[in-house]
Amino acid sequence: MGFFVTTLIFVAIGVIASLCARICCNRGPSANLLHLTLIITATVCCWLMWAIVYIAQMKPLIVPILSEE
Amino acid sequence: MSSPTMDLLRSEPMQLAQLIIPMESAHRTISYLGDLGLFQFKDLNTEKSPFQRTYAAQIKRCGEMARKLRFLKDQMTKAGFSPSSRCSFDTRVTLDELEVKLGELEEELIEVNANSDKLQRSHNELLEYKLVLQKAGEFFHSAQSIAAAQNHEFEANVMGEVSIDSPLLLEQEMSVDPSKQVKLGFVSGLVAREKSMAFERILFRATRGNVFLKQVAVEDPVIDPLSGDKIEKNVFVIFYSGERARMKVTKICDAFGANRYPFTDDIAKQYQTISEVSGKLSELKTTIDVGQLQRSNLLRTISFEFEQWNLLVKKEKSIYHILNMLSFDVTKKCLVGEGWCPISATDQIKNTLQQASLDSNSLVGAIFQVLQTEESPPTHFRTNKFTSAFQEIVDAYGVAKYQEANPGVFTIVTFPFLFAVMFGDWGHGLCLFLATLYFILREKKLSHQKLGDIMEMAFGGRYVIMMMALFSIYTGLIYNEFFSVPFELFGRSAYDCRDSSCRDASTVGLIKVRGTYPFGVDPKWHGTRSELPFLNSLKMKMSILLGIAQMNLGIVLSYFNAKFFGNDINIWYQFVPQIIFLNSLFGYLSLLIIVKWCSGSQADLYHVMIYMFLSPTADLGDNQLFFGQKYLQILLLLFALVAVPWMLFPKPLLLKKQHQERHRGQAYRPLYSTEDSFELEIQSDLHGHEEFEFSEVFVHQFIHTIEFVLGAVSNTASYLRLWALSLAHSELSSVFYDKVLLLAWGFNNVIILIIGIIVFICATVGVLLLMETLSAFLHALRLHWVEFQSKFYEGDGYKFYPFSFASLSEDEE
Repeated sequence: MGFFVTTLIFVAIGVIASLCARICCNRGPSANLLHLTLIITATVCCWLMWAIVYIAQMKPLIVPILSEE
Repeated sequence: MSSPTMDLLRSEPMQLAQLIIPMESAHRTISYLGDLGLFQFKDLNTEKSPFQRTYAAQIKRCGEMARKLRFLKDQMTKAGFSPSSRCSFDTRVTLDELEVKLGELEEELIEVNANSDKLQRSHNELLEYKLVLQKAGEFFHSAQSIAAAQNHEFEANVMGEVSIDSPLLLEQEMSVDPSKQVKLGFVSGLVAREKSMAFERILFRATRGNVFLKQVAVEDPVIDPLSGDKIEKNVFVIFYSGERARMKVTKICDAFGANRYPFTDDIAKQYQTISEVSGKLSELKTTIDVGQLQRSNLLRTISFEFEQWNLLVKKEKSIYHILNMLSFDVTKKCLVGEGWCPISATDQIKNTLQQASLDSNSLVGAIFQVLQTEESPPTHFRTNKFTSAFQEIVDAYGVAKYQEANPGVFTIVTFPFLFAVMFGDWGHGLCLFLATLYFILREKKLSHQKLGDIMEMAFGGRYVIMMMALFSIYTGLIYNEFFSVPFELFGRSAYDCRDSSCRDASTVGLIKVRGTYPFGVDPKWHGTRSELPFLNSLKMKMSILLGIAQMNLGIVLSYFNAKFFGNDINIWYQFVPQIIFLNSLFGYLSLLIIVKWCSGSQADLYHVMIYMFLSPTADLGDNQLFFGQKYLQILLLLFALVAVPWMLFPKPLLLKKQHQERHRGQAYRPLYSTEDSFELEIQSDLHGHEEFEFSEVFVHQFIHTIEFVLGAVSNTASYLRLWALSLAHSELSSVFYDKVLLLAWGFNNVIILIIGIIVFICATVGVLLLMETLSAFLHALRLHWVEFQSKFYEGDGYKFYPFSFASLSEDEE
């Protein structure tokens, strides 16, 4: 459950960021396309990293063993 | 379906244009084009040497003026003036006026300098003379008083023996025969103290001991008239007899650079001389001061105009350089120039040409004509202050070929991202962000200052560093490290003790009781014994996944390149087999990683991958992750094996067929008459350019295939540096925290705590914020240049350098 919800959150953040970029700096179709590409790339990179770390911890093979205090 | 073009993805469309400019408006046209800065001139006179060119004389003039300006600047800096930065454009001087003015100023300054040097030398000589008068006067005075005392004594004992230590003068008076009286001459002057021993020795030897030398040291160092330095000197008086001795003494004095000054025994004359010298000294001083004042006034007036003159001379020199690149047309009344410009700038250039014709009252306007050419145009990207730094990073490896896909577009995001994967600590990221925020907020002020070399680089890359810092904050939150301290910011940790007593926590460990920690690495891991095995496994697998993703992106970009250039061969016989090869082996590995994580299986992936090659038909047993895995593996192995010859053979064969088809019709051509022999030459020239060596093409493709196949393994492994650097960073950070800060805290002593904090801050800034930043920057750069760009980038273009006055001031010294 947590995985898909958070993925949707990432998608939502990406969409909001693109809309903000379109509103704030609307400089012609070619520049807009560049901004869109950059935002999508950044969103994908961030999501990928989060997803990898999340999935790796879903069914762990080793557990934390506390050191002697 | 044609998609709209994206800014920065491909070079601006460029065109080769020809300008025909009438002579009278040539200078003004080039000057206006320089202000516009959108036209790159081609050199049409490459066969001519610099001395044969039309405007060589003008360039020499400008060079001469630049030399004079440098001289003036030298004089100004010596006097402590700096050229003022406010430029007054109200007085527009022409080049000729400036030349005359500079000549005058140079002469004047040289004269003033020579005069002041002479005056200064006389002043120093007089100072030395004064010293000689004082010291020698003391000596003579004391000697005379001793002589007078001895005289009284002698007269008291008329019949006494001659005492040995009678003063010299007394002996002189004692000599009986006046005709045999040898007049003692003396020489007085100053000699450098370090040379005085040698001076004395040589005098003694040369005159066989027949001179008497008396030296008195001068307390303060004296300014030597010749060299102008302060030297310690001694005043000397040498007594000699005879003409030969006098010559020898004079020569020795000259050899040692000892200045001689006349001196009289007469006391009255001595006092007179001293007062004369003092008078002359004060006169000279006032004259010198007036001279200095005049000079500094002159230099001050120059310093106001200096920048403007400097710029004018530079501009004119560059204009003449460009004019040298143009060639004359047949009628010798116009200059013809060729050059590159962006197609979008055509209107601006045409307007500029019109304006120049109008302003110079020429009868004919300049003509702008587009030429068709096969030459490859220069590459031009329109960047702003944010994207230009990233574009420079890409250009440092190689400038993009005209219109090929620019990796800079993705580099803007992936470069800071990969840096952040290696840097991951949100505390350090915040520090970096604050530092670069200072640069960005003070942009306007700092861009006009002259910063040191390293600061200049850091300032130029401020937006890159800002992106790096922002991504580092993100990855720091994911790795859950704030100066190596984890926080439970996003919910409760997933792990807890097996039972309420927590007895087993250090032997078998905790267990996962709740849902996965929602964002990032669980905070419970930090400081445990199994932290490293877990994080290592996680980071290594993450590096592989990120690497495969970036490499696939690179290959997809090569598809877009092939589609843009209409190169079908590259699509079917390069892109497709490359994608199949990479993904059937390493894409499959990525899939296995994800399946293993999702299912929690204990399969050994190393074993699976290696035995996929060694014995593909063997049963997987415990390592099976999903149903039908064995058959899928055999299938993927076959795909990979097929992809290799698919990459290697078809492309050269097809290229050969293409070449033959293109020139099949040209093997037999109708004979042209000799009037068109020029055309024939061009045709055969074109034919020559497209010669096709099949062996060369095949070897090229062979190398490319091997590079890709071997590179697939080595590049994937190369991405493991993401794991390695991130491990190093987190270990260093944790050592500094545990072994410095916590240790200092444990002593419960304020002084030790303060020392500990200082050491911690120094270590963090020096090692982690500076060294690690540079290190991660370098490795992220390497990953982009080699692993990413080798999949699609050719980078053998050349950059568009328009003729522009704005770039002149950047090329300064």
